[in-house]
Amino acid sequence: MRISDLLKMGLRNLSRRKARTALTVIGVVIGTISIVVMVSIGIGMNASFKSQVMEQGDINTITVQKYSYSTDEKGNVTDSKEQVIDDTLLSQIKQLTHVKYATGVYSRDVQLYSGKYMGYGSVTAMDYEGFSYFNLPGLTLGTYPDVKGSDKLVFGNQVLMGFYNPRAMNSMMSTPITIDPAKDKITLSFDNGQYERNPKKKEKRIILKNIGTMEESNDWQYSYSICMDSDYFKKLYSEYITTLKVEGRKQAKKSLAAYDNIKVRVDNVKNVTKVQKQIKELGYGSDSLGSTLETMEQTSNMLQMVLGGVGAVAMLVSAISIANTMVMSIYERTKEIGVMKVLGCFITDIKKLFLFEAAMIGMIGGVIGIILSYIASYCINKFGAPLFKTLLSNSSMYDMANARFSIIPFWLPFLAAGFAIGVGIISGYYPAKRATKISAIEAMKTES
Amino acid sequence: MVKGVRERLATEIEKVIEVKNVKKIYRMGHEKICAVDGVDFEILKGEFCCLLGTSGSGKSTLLNLMAGIERITSGQIIIKGKNIHKMNEKSLAKFRQRYLGFVFQSYNLMNSMTALENVEFPLVFKRVNTKKRKKLAREMLIKVGLEKRLNHKPKEMSGGQQQRVGIARAFVAKPEIVFADEPTGNLDTKTTMEVMDLIKSIAKTNNQTIVMVTHDKRLADYADKIIHILDGKIQEVEIVHDVREKRESKTQENSSEEEIEAKEQIQEKELIQEQEELNGK
Repeated sequence: MRISDLLKMGLRNLSRRKARTALTVIGVVIGTISIVVMVSIGIGMNASFKSQVMEQGDINTITVQKYSYSTDEKGNVTDSKEQVIDDTLLSQIKQLTHVKYATGVYSRDVQLYSGKYMGYGSVTAMDYEGFSYFNLPGLTLGTYPDVKGSDKLVFGNQVLMGFYNPRAMNSMMSTPITIDPAKDKITLSFDNGQYERNPKKKEKRIILKNIGTMEESNDWQYSYSICMDSDYFKKLYSEYITTLKVEGRKQAKKSLAAYDNIKVRVDNVKNVTKVQKQIKELGYGSDSLGSTLETMEQTSNMLQMVLGGVGAVAMLVSAISIANTMVMSIYERTKEIGVMKVLGCFITDIKKLFLFEAAMIGMIGGVIGIILSYIASYCINKFGAPLFKTLLSNSSMYDMANARFSIIPFWLPFLAAGFAIGVGIISGYYPAKRATKISAIEAMKTES
Repeated sequence: MVKGVRERLATEIEKVIEVKNVKKIYRMGHEKICAVDGVDFEILKGEFCCLLGTSGSGKSTLLNLMAGIERITSGQIIIKGKNIHKMNEKSLAKFRQRYLGFVFQSYNLMNSMTALENVEFPLVFKRVNTKKRKKLAREMLIKVGLEKRLNHKPKEMSGGQQQRVGIARAFVAKPEIVFADEPTGNLDTKTTMEVMDLIKSIAKTNNQTIVMVTHDKRLADYADKIIHILDGKIQEVEIVHDVREKRESKTQENSSEEEIEAKEQIQEKELIQEQEELNGK
């Protein structure tokens, strides 16, 4: 038989028993929907986890903190120790494989003044090159420091919003005032009471120039930062030190010898854990979002497999239903198959005919299923939030407002269609084989 | 050597079907039933042969054996020089496409197809292209007088019309041999006569061989050769018209055609011998 004849005949046979074909197709539709939707939810969760984690900072970055916490298996802090992080460690870390860049970071809490108003911020000072290696938020004004010792500085988007008048009544309760760096003069003071000031000297207020501001970003770790180059920072801080009493002066000077943390940029997310392990071998603890992400990914992979398994069960049921339909159809068509054989039809053609019919059921079901899956996916994203909130209540990371719960990547529909057709062919194989075994004698039997 | 073959062919040339000591034994539990018991006969080209017997005489079984639908227990059936019981399913299917046509008692038309599509059906298996097979099927249906019923489904036609479609389907591929199993078993007398005339006239125009099974003695009148069967054995072979005589007079008129055919047969014979040798191995 020609292929066109085979197709025509197969379709004719399917349309002869419309109700039965439709019911079987519905089975495949349900199977396909469950697989596509389940997998899409798994993928959606994974992507959501990833974006949630990424919003908190750069996943390629490792931070070696001054205070290292050791935790037990449940994640509870069991011990903390202070570790010295200085240039020796920095150069050691720089030599590790997969480390693209590393810099020491100073951070100091500072006060800001503008006219009668004041505000708070935290200086984050690192080598000027660092600003291009770590994914810092974009700027609405100015630029990041780009030369060694540059006096450029960048304010996090929250810093300038929280100014208030300390002398006013109920100062803390009044609405915060936003300072415009383009118009208002801003000064900075390191004098936060940590070290005692030499009473003979005046509080050092540094006039800030070359101010940049960050745009709003989900990466909150820089929201209250005042980023500057570390050399410039050292210069300003040294000036501040001169205003201190002798003991304070010593301590403050000493604090400049060590960094508050070291930021490490790894070439690839996959290597984050590896680098962290190497740092641990140096005797230092570190944290990274990459390692957090890894455990989250493991969880979501497992979830994806469980969900996929649920879908696969539905598909298995539909496979059985296809096989059943085909067997029934063969019983009905016994005589017809016998006649075909007597008229000279090759048994391979009979086999192909039944396989085609089964594959067709799979394909129709698959295509309809995929279309409905897109609708289902849309509905889940639109209306599914309450359900997922209860399901994932213990995951505080999950931001419900803008999360997508179900994502269908471009390859999924093709995979699903292929799978549905494959299921059709596999479940049609046994009935087709059975059809070829029907004897031509059936045609000669006279009862009709 | 060639001359020898030719001489042999001169006597064997027209034997389309040779049945040699054929037996068919069915096992029914522990009991063995011999449906066909050592039957020997031959059917010549262009002959209308009728297997006549009561029901249960084994005539239908014999037809099934000849058509390769059932396997023989012992003996030989040679059609067109080929041992059909030695063929595998695929070559048997090919053989049926090429040489055999079938008319059934219960018509066995495809209910979902129109008359035209039913007649096309054997050509579909032969991979004839759509245009050509539509044309052939239409011509055949016109020949059996159903030009107004081309697009009717079997259920919309009378028994006689359905059997005409069946006949058109059997003859559409121009097979050399047409097997008919009680072709008029479900028809009334008047229609029976019409259908029989139709089969006979088509077969005669194309010099096709007909093997018909029936229990109806009146139908035997249409036959050139009547083989009476009882309890799986041949009782009598009755030759009504000798096809050979007619053929001889015809041969003189068209000797060149006959010669070509003879040559073809030689080639085929040689091929068969080769195949048999292979099979022997």
